[in-house]
Amino acid sequence: MSAAIQNIVNQPYKHGFVTEIESDVAPKGLNEDTIRLISTKKNEPEWLLNFRLKAYQHWLKMEEPKWSNVKYQKIDFQAISYYSAPKSKKKLASMDEVDPELLRTFEKLGVPMQERAALAGVAVDVIFDSVSVATTYKEKLAEIGIIFCSISEAVHTHPELVKQYLGTVVPIGDNYYAALNSAVFTDGSFCFIPKGVKCPMDLSTYFRINTQDSGQFERTLIIAEEEATVSYLEGCTAPKFDTNQLHAAVVELIAHDNANIKYSTVQNWYAGDENGVGGIYNFVTKRGLAKGKNSRISWTQVETGSAITWKYPSCVLQGDNSVGEFYSVAVTNNYQQADTGTKMIHIGKNTRSTIVSKGISAGHSTNSYRGLVRIAPTAAGARNFSQCDSLLIGNQCSANTFPYIQVRNNSAKVEHEASTSKIGENQLFYFAQRGIGNEEAVSMIINGFCKDVFQQLPMEFAVEATNLLGLKLEGSVG
Amino acid sequence: MSVVTGDSYLKSLLQGQSQLSASPLERLNRLRANAVDRVSALRMPTIRDEEWRFTDISPLTKLSFQPIRIVSPLQVSDVEHFYLAESVTRLVFVDGVYAPHLSTQLSDISKDSSVVVSNLSAATSEDLATIEPHLGHHTEFQDNVFAALNTAFLHEGAFIIVPRNISVEMPVHLLFIATQKEVASYPRCLLIAGSGSTVTVLEDYVSLQEETYVTNTVAEIVLADNAIVNHIRIQRDSNQAFHIANCAVSLARASRYQSISVALGARISRYNLNVLLADEGAECTVDGLALISNRQLADTHTCIDHTKPHCTSRQLHKCIVDDAAHAVFNGKIMVRPDAQFTDSSQSNRNLLLTSKARVDTKPQLEIFADDVKCAHGATVGQLDNEEIFYLKSRGLSEITARNLLTYAFGAEIIDRIPIASLKFQLEQTVLEQTQKS
Repeated sequence: MSAAIQNIVNQPYKHGFVTEIESDVAPKGLNEDTIRLISTKKNEPEWLLNFRLKAYQHWLKMEEPKWSNVKYQKIDFQAISYYSAPKSKKKLASMDEVDPELLRTFEKLGVPMQERAALAGVAVDVIFDSVSVATTYKEKLAEIGIIFCSISEAVHTHPELVKQYLGTVVPIGDNYYAALNSAVFTDGSFCFIPKGVKCPMDLSTYFRINTQDSGQFERTLIIAEEEATVSYLEGCTAPKFDTNQLHAAVVELIAHDNANIKYSTVQNWYAGDENGVGGIYNFVTKRGLAKGKNSRISWTQVETGSAITWKYPSCVLQGDNSVGEFYSVAVTNNYQQADTGTKMIHIGKNTRSTIVSKGISAGHSTNSYRGLVRIAPTAAGARNFSQCDSLLIGNQCSANTFPYIQVRNNSAKVEHEASTSKIGENQLFYFAQRGIGNEEAVSMIINGFCKDVFQQLPMEFAVEATNLLGLKLEGSVG
Repeated sequence: MSVVTGDSYLKSLLQGQSQLSASPLERLNRLRANAVDRVSALRMPTIRDEEWRFTDISPLTKLSFQPIRIVSPLQVSDVEHFYLAESVTRLVFVDGVYAPHLSTQLSDISKDSSVVVSNLSAATSEDLATIEPHLGHHTEFQDNVFAALNTAFLHEGAFIIVPRNISVEMPVHLLFIATQKEVASYPRCLLIAGSGSTVTVLEDYVSLQEETYVTNTVAEIVLADNAIVNHIRIQRDSNQAFHIANCAVSLARASRYQSISVALGARISRYNLNVLLADEGAECTVDGLALISNRQLADTHTCIDHTKPHCTSRQLHKCIVDDAAHAVFNGKIMVRPDAQFTDSSQSNRNLLLTSKARVDTKPQLEIFADDVKCAHGATVGQLDNEEIFYLKSRGLSEITARNLLTYAFGAEIIDRIPIASLKFQLEQTVLEQTQKS
């Protein structure tokens, strides 16, 4: 990466390389046969195939949503290959047997699995394209009853759990992309924390889109039983491609009584070049159901990549006294478009939610916060606080705020505030006075601006996120 | 009353439109014809349209309303209590038709004033020349079926021309009285404030009886450089009525627009206010209060469009929602790429008095310039227990404390009205409506 010396805004995508591993790719196009093929390849039970086919029927009847504040060329769903798996002849028993090419890829990404696992105490369920190839620390977790594996594995080993929970938070007909995902999802993570167990380490998974033109349809399902606690990390990087890639993931979280789920994301997929060519389309449905009393679901996200980000991690606060949280930093540069925010649906009594959203836009980008706070008539004593701040860098970009607030209970209290600002000349001057150059000053100001959110991130991610922001925005001010 | 839906419903509303006499103003005839075309092309909005998501106007489409045929013979004594003590200039429209015997024109008081306050169909050719570039120019009706309907029936209406550097001391009172049921009236107002002029206008919608009728109004307000306009709008229609209003305001360099709108009446009311800050240094203050109860719905949509640098906007919109009423607020602030140094703030505060009351609010910012100061906030809640406790500790009963706080919540907006007698009247109304025992 010789370009690192240059203006880092113009720097090529750091993680842009393609690992040459033979892929088992399904022919392009989507129809019932494709779905049957995926199902057969993955050796799935009948009920799951029916689930997929039902979702596909729904999807056919649905229309692509147009309400968001993003512009892109119409996606040709028939030009996408819906299944791609790295070819592996036999099941792998240890890390030594993993394709060395694959391991080198992760090293380039800065994810030395063993090291990370040993030093940071993190079990990494590595998703390479669509099939999980290596899982560490599984035994250790299994000892205390935690199930952490790929969802295709869970379908075989714990079919009753998958059947019971899959599609209960995000129904198959929920929205256009969720329906598509339900029909063609290939893999993802499954996590089950039994009653009373506090997960001793942060669970983490790396998603990576590798084979060109293969849209990725991840499916994540996390269940925390009564009194269980889990923190889950998701990190994303993808190689550089010129054709746009579609990513339509679905994440479902279920928290029972007194359970606590924390879901953190750092997303740094390829955002296209400085002219807006290429990049990932990231259309994700993430939703958590705080089902039990006193349960808590917390979303933290740092969105820096993707040509288009379109996601609204939501909390359905069904249990009394349940808590929903959303902390987000969204950074857009060049021609990136982000339309992101959250939904807090208050149903139970005395439910509380907090929304902190920080948007930073630079270049020609568009950054929108779109959020919904709904207080149902049953949500007596509900409380919401929302804060959305935008920072604009340059006069070609835009920052928008679309908060929807719907209140049907008079004992609820809802507050929303938003502000928009820029990095002031006087702030830069103050730094200059103390001998701190513009670049560094901007980096410090931005990190201060995002502090509320970074504080919510697990340690490793907080460091990564801070670096990522600096990298994304350097050179765009001054 | 016939039950119709869809396009045929709109066509039924257009009955009688063709009988309007042609205007001497060619542009006006063209405008009407265009509007008729648009009405035929458009459909009634439903809750599937984003702009009407929370306001279901289907009850309106179940009833067919026609413009008035026989004008109610009103005497001064019937409507006198609506008159303002301060105002000597008054235009009165009864069910959308100009009532000269109830109005007092400026010319009755002083012959030499160059200010024109008159009915559109009585405009002189000199006035027409001034009106022509503005009438129908600021209210876009391509996608707005209600504005298109109003324009199709554009015939009579209030127009006010304030020439350069003239300051009109007394407020101008535009009084729209509804008297009959199942009538559609299409009031129209045009205010042209010349450069450096100052004027206060009260747009006042009242009814004599609790009837079902439709008021569909369009107001256009144009401010030239350095002009100052105070615009007060009081909607106290019958609780059975439908009130749909569109108001477009255009501000030139360093002009100042201050508006207060109060919605008290109507079963379903909708107010669209579009303020265009078209040149540098323009300022606007847009305040609103909706005080509703029973099954009323009050919907306010505002759009403040900053297109040039150094403009300022301030907005405070409050809703007091009682019983099973429903308040909707959608406040958009747009900052265009050129509009650097914009200073804009918006606040929406809602008070829910019962468990059935409902609020849908969407304060919205769209910003395309970087050196701006923009903030907005929205709150929904009930009276603060600590405030109630404070008043109780001073010897007030729980109910008195609640009433006082509710009243004070609304009074913040009423206090900003610059016309003393109207302020007093509204204070009484708010006091009555917020008293519970």
